Amino acid sequence: MFAKMYDWIDERLNITPIWRDIADYEVPAHVNPANKMSAFVYCFGGLTFLIIVTQILSGMFLALYYVPDIVNAYKSVDYITNEVLLGNIVRGMHFWGASLVIIMMFLHMLRVFFTGSYKAPRELNWVVGVLIFLVVMAFGFTGYLLPWDQKAYWATAVGTNIAGSVPIIGPYIRTLLVGGDTLGALTLTRFFAIHVFFLPAFLLVLLAAHFYMIRKQGISGPL
Amino acid sequence: MAEHYRERIPGTPRFKRDKEYPPGTEPFFPNFLLKEWIVGAMFLVGFILWVIFNPVGLEKVANPEDTTFIPVPDWYFLFLYQLLKYFPGKYVVFGTVVIPAIATLALLLAPWLDRRKERHPFKRPIATATMVLSVLFMIWLTYVAAEEHKAELAKQGPQATTPGGQQGTASGPVVDPEDEGAKLYAQSCSGCHGPNLEGSFGPSLLGIGNRMNAAQLSDVISKGFPPKMPARGGLQSDEQVKKVAEWLAKQKQK
Repeated sequence: MFAKMYDWIDERLNITPIWRDIADYEVPAHVNPANKMSAFVYCFGGLTFLIIVTQILSGMFLALYYVPDIVNAYKSVDYITNEVLLGNIVRGMHFWGASLVIIMMFLHMLRVFFTGSYKAPRELNWVVGVLIFLVVMAFGFTGYLLPWDQKAYWATAVGTNIAGSVPIIGPYIRTLLVGGDTLGALTLTRFFAIHVFFLPAFLLVLLAAHFYMIRKQGISGPL
Repeated sequence: MAEHYRERIPGTPRFKRDKEYPPGTEPFFPNFLLKEWIVGAMFLVGFILWVIFNPVGLEKVANPEDTTFIPVPDWYFLFLYQLLKYFPGKYVVFGTVVIPAIATLALLLAPWLDRRKERHPFKRPIATATMVLSVLFMIWLTYVAAEEHKAELAKQGPQATTPGGQQGTASGPVVDPEDEGAKLYAQSCSGCHGPNLEGSFGPSLLGIGNRMNAAQLSDVISKGFPPKMPARGGLQSDEQVKKVAEWLAKQKQK
């Protein structure tokens, strides 16, 4: 039955070439740990993506309970941690996953750097990768404030003050982030919006470009 | 090409790959992706185990008045934070802008800074050495920042606000340790909540008496927090729950 359904769709939309193109990609021997164990370094990028996917999923579930205002943010995180079924696990995944993404992404970047894979013709993909790195750091910075506990508040107070100390544009950046003079209700909604709407949009576009270029250019050859 | 796409259902006899794959290479799907998924699944199991055994705590609610709190960024920003400390006063711009901007630009422009065809790391010693030294420098900055933060917390002493990080003596003694509830606690609860109520796998119960009375406590203990804490917390009877709850209600702290 599924074969018939597939045929019905395929007759109309001709979807076969799209996924066949991806499925038939020839994975070279030198990146396949099944051939040579040391090729495991080529797995870091894929594992980074896997953890990003779990971050998106756990974040979606946290958003079911989280309330981005200064009265309820802390209470909702407390509720997720102590009352919601498996809430502490989902929050734990999101919390530790943030660190794990950064570790895996860093390892992936070092692999690409030390194998010289950023060289022509792959310069643009390297640039996109560095941008992904910056977006992920921004995720970390904005996400840290959301529980609205002491640690979150004071780390963000210091972080935004550092941004404010930059000559000329600093005060404007600070106002943009904080939404006023003092860290408060507006800051929390801003960081929330940046964390769950702006940054994911950037990240998905950049990841799409990253993967498209990998497939278009192929994996760099053996050293 | 068109011929190739006409036969299409994978796993059914109708489909045959028309391509010859050289030895060692294999198709991405399903051959390689399956292996990748096996690695990913093991990785996820390790990750989930880590999450289960390292529950995330929550500090006190944000209080803009309380300026005694020692702020610290998350660990992956520590190296930047530490860098600032070496540029006091008007030179701080080197720490906030100049050095981070140069480092970020150098990273972005690496393909144009290192244009030669050589790819092996030993054949381009400048690029390799720069990266190795930068990474070591970042690790060292992170380490120093973490140590300095620890020292600051220790200096602040008994008021230290990191929960679970301090021993029971730091936040005040256990009240009435000879009570019968205390003995039951030692048998059934101390494994997770610590022999001195300081918490380990479970949360700290120091000062729990400030927040809950005996009736509320006995209600919480009776229900437990499945799956981490069983109903009655491993105590045998409601009688015992009551005794422990009454003892815990006395654990008031300033």
